[in-house]
Amino acid sequence: MKTLIPEYMVSPFETQGIDASKLIYAVHADSSDDSGYLDAYLAVSSDSLYILLGEEKVVKASGARRIVAVYEPKELHVIPLEDVGNLSTERLVSTVRLCSEKDDKTSILLVFSIGYLGAVEKLIKVISNIREGKDPLTDLPVEEELFCPKCGTRYPEPVRKICPKCLDRVSITKRLFSFFGHYKTKVFWVFVTMLAGSVFSMITPLVSSRFFFDEVLTEGGSYYGYILGAVLMILIVRAVNTGLNILYSYVLARTVPWIVQDLKMKIFEAMQRLDVGFYTSKRTGNLMNRVNQDANNIYWFFVDGLPYVVVNLLTFTGVVLVMFLLNAKLAIICLVIIPLAILFFRVLWSIFRRFHHKNWVYHSQLNSLVSDAVNGQRVIKAFAKEDTETERFSVVSGKQTLVDIHTMNTVTTAFPLIYLFMFLGQVVVTGVGGIMVLNGTEGMTIGVLMSFISYLTMLYGPLEFMSWVSNWWARCVDSAQRVFEIIDAKPEVTDPENPVVLDRIRGDIELKDVKFEYDAATPVLKGVNLSVKAGQMLGIVGKTGAGKSTMANLIARLYDVTEGTITIDGVNVKELSLEQLRKSVGIVSQDIYLFIGTIADNIRYARPEATMEDVIRAAKAAAAHEFIMKLPDAYETRVGAGGQDLSGGEKQRLSIARTILQDPDILILDEATAAMDTETEAKIQNALSQLQRGRTTLAIAHRLSTLRDADTLAVLKDGVIVESGTHRELMEKKGEYHKLYTIQLEGLKIINMDA
Amino acid sequence: MENTNEASRSLASAIDIGFLDPKKAEFYVTAGGFTGLRYEGNDYKRITLRRAFPIGKPSEYISVADKDNKEIGIIRSLADLDKDQYEIVVAELEKRYYSPTVYEVKSVKDKLGYVYMELLVGKNGATYTKNCAVKDVTRNIRLLSEDTLAIFDVDGNRYIVESLSKLDKKSLKRLEPYLL
Repeated sequence: MKTLIPEYMVSPFETQGIDASKLIYAVHADSSDDSGYLDAYLAVSSDSLYILLGEEKVVKASGARRIVAVYEPKELHVIPLEDVGNLSTERLVSTVRLCSEKDDKTSILLVFSIGYLGAVEKLIKVISNIREGKDPLTDLPVEEELFCPKCGTRYPEPVRKICPKCLDRVSITKRLFSFFGHYKTKVFWVFVTMLAGSVFSMITPLVSSRFFFDEVLTEGGSYYGYILGAVLMILIVRAVNTGLNILYSYVLARTVPWIVQDLKMKIFEAMQRLDVGFYTSKRTGNLMNRVNQDANNIYWFFVDGLPYVVVNLLTFTGVVLVMFLLNAKLAIICLVIIPLAILFFRVLWSIFRRFHHKNWVYHSQLNSLVSDAVNGQRVIKAFAKEDTETERFSVVSGKQTLVDIHTMNTVTTAFPLIYLFMFLGQVVVTGVGGIMVLNGTEGMTIGVLMSFISYLTMLYGPLEFMSWVSNWWARCVDSAQRVFEIIDAKPEVTDPENPVVLDRIRGDIELKDVKFEYDAATPVLKGVNLSVKAGQMLGIVGKTGAGKSTMANLIARLYDVTEGTITIDGVNVKELSLEQLRKSVGIVSQDIYLFIGTIADNIRYARPEATMEDVIRAAKAAAAHEFIMKLPDAYETRVGAGGQDLSGGEKQRLSIARTILQDPDILILDEATAAMDTETEAKIQNALSQLQRGRTTLAIAHRLSTLRDADTLAVLKDGVIVESGTHRELMEKKGEYHKLYTIQLEGLKIINMDA
Repeated sequence: MENTNEASRSLASAIDIGFLDPKKAEFYVTAGGFTGLRYEGNDYKRITLRRAFPIGKPSEYISVADKDNKEIGIIRSLADLDKDQYEIVVAELEKRYYSPTVYEVKSVKDKLGYVYMELLVGKNGATYTKNCAVKDVTRNIRLLSEDTLAIFDVDGNRYIVESLSKLDKKSLKRLEPYLL
């Protein structure tokens, strides 16, 4: 029998007299409550549960994998499995209770930190398997590696297995460069023109200072008196320099946008591959930022930042070389000033970064407030809260203003001081150089001195740039990392290796012991069993939050079940081709989204090849045709963001028309007519009932009148089906359905309208 | 103000908040370590206590629910309970709301947008070191009030800095970039 016992747990158990070879499964947890903290090892054998509490002495720290040097046990609890009742977990705010219920008595076995919930639930599953006589490790979810095997750093996203420590900035930059692969020739020309431009930049001071002063203006110089020629030469050098800069900017501008376009396409394609769960775990603004803002950060770094890094590096190196060639002694004096200048700049930029971050946060808060106020104007006016909102805005705006003031104060104070310091350097060079000129030492001439001063000022630009480009690079790399997170993300709902493609989907649906939870320890469905025969209509009722929409999502495989199976025509949905499944299941849900486009485009979304007549037929069936025809542009009215505003009911009817046109084999109506008046609902019901013939339909509703055509009804409560049957059968049972029905009927009676 | 009072009165007459009568309530601790309640002839063997305002009013408006999560009533204020009852209720609340307190932030490393922290945490003076990784810092390092900070790591564990103003300077400086 296979067992899973971490090696570091063997010795601690053995020292307590437990034969580790008899242990089947063990997990690491802790005992964490207001009475103290201990590390806990939980293990199970074929007949007992062991809870060992003690203290781990860990060798490696800082987020690394635990390497336990010593374990000091404090307490051992051994509970025979026959005395361990039904195990369950109760989630508190930061901790979880492991509870055991036996003979109507419940006791708390352990209180542990919420982070260990997954591990403890696996242990509970193993115990359950042992009790059922199964292989203990049956159906255990695959253990994700949580720590980087190279450095021991915790993976922030275990599914992705990217270690931020190992994945350093250089690796990410290299990966970014891989996007340049298709544009090698253009990149080559960019660098050639950049290099040429840098060389000419370095020649300019030599021509305009050294040559002009020493050879043209000084008596005895090789070109004494040739002013016009010299001026022309200065002009030509400058013009060539400018031409080269224009050329490389031109080539760069024609290259980098395509690379970023490739990147944005990859991000968008990757997002289309990902499943619904990814989107619900990330804010929409966050994702949109990645596609736009982060891609742009990368763009600007490569357009502006990287070329300047190269140019400035070349300039710096070239300038220092030329200075040494002109006069080594003076060059050394210059170089003494440089490290101090770099230090000043770095300190300054680190202060700026803090202000910048605060400014960015307040800026985001202000944007959110404005967005809130704009979108919530109706509510603000309805509650006469204009002044309150203005006050709220004023507080955050005030804080941002203070930060702006601090930033400006720092800039206006610090930079002039730094430039003064740099000017001092220039003064020192001028003084020392002047003395050398007067004494004629080391071949120093006025021209050489003038060149030196020009080169010194040329150095400061690269120095300043280098001191803050690392932040720019960091921002670019951070953006790249977020972008790669999407590109590398693996969808959880995927096509199987050999997907089953059925000739035709009849629509027999069966749910067997289906369990599902969006978040750990918050189960939504706790073991749902139901079946619908092909062509039948099943109505599902239940309170808000009972799990009805979740069932619809699972049947369409927008999420995968946590446990249990869903089959369509006897085939597990996980084995069916995703494409066939999604095309065969049509959902009309409460969340209606209209894409940017015309009404006709939206109706034809699932079947772009549908004819206009089909579109009109679908609209008529959904009782949408009438309101569409009242719009000036009728079916060509633009809807979606920035388009025509439609009411909730109108949007829902378009959504129904869309699904009708899709002509799915399985139709799921999730509160499809919730936003409609009874008359409109009745019209749609009539149309839908025609379409439902021969089609399996799941209708989810609060209003029982919506389900009047259902062949069978099921009541979902607290994640399980508590009742199912026909309307008559359920009324006779006088259970949950009867209660719901009676409440609704009483409600109608109050206003003298019997259902 | 008059309008507000009138509105409150009108609301109070229309909707019963369901305050528990402390004189009729008897909280007790079960053999299994849970908290039970005897109230109006019913014996609820395992109740759940939840604070309606855990940050602003931790001693007021405590919801009492049965094991099926159906609310039995609301304790208006813990001060209304007698000493023994108070201790039982507070003990249960402390268990429910227990989160390790952060005493010191030993190190913070920002690696490509993920933050790795070494924290000295614990309760009532007993401390231990915890290494945690935090992602989505704007969401998972957040102020619960002007002076209280919550940190949620990638495993869902929660750590609380009860008073930022009482934290040592170095720890505060390490947290500063994430405090807004």
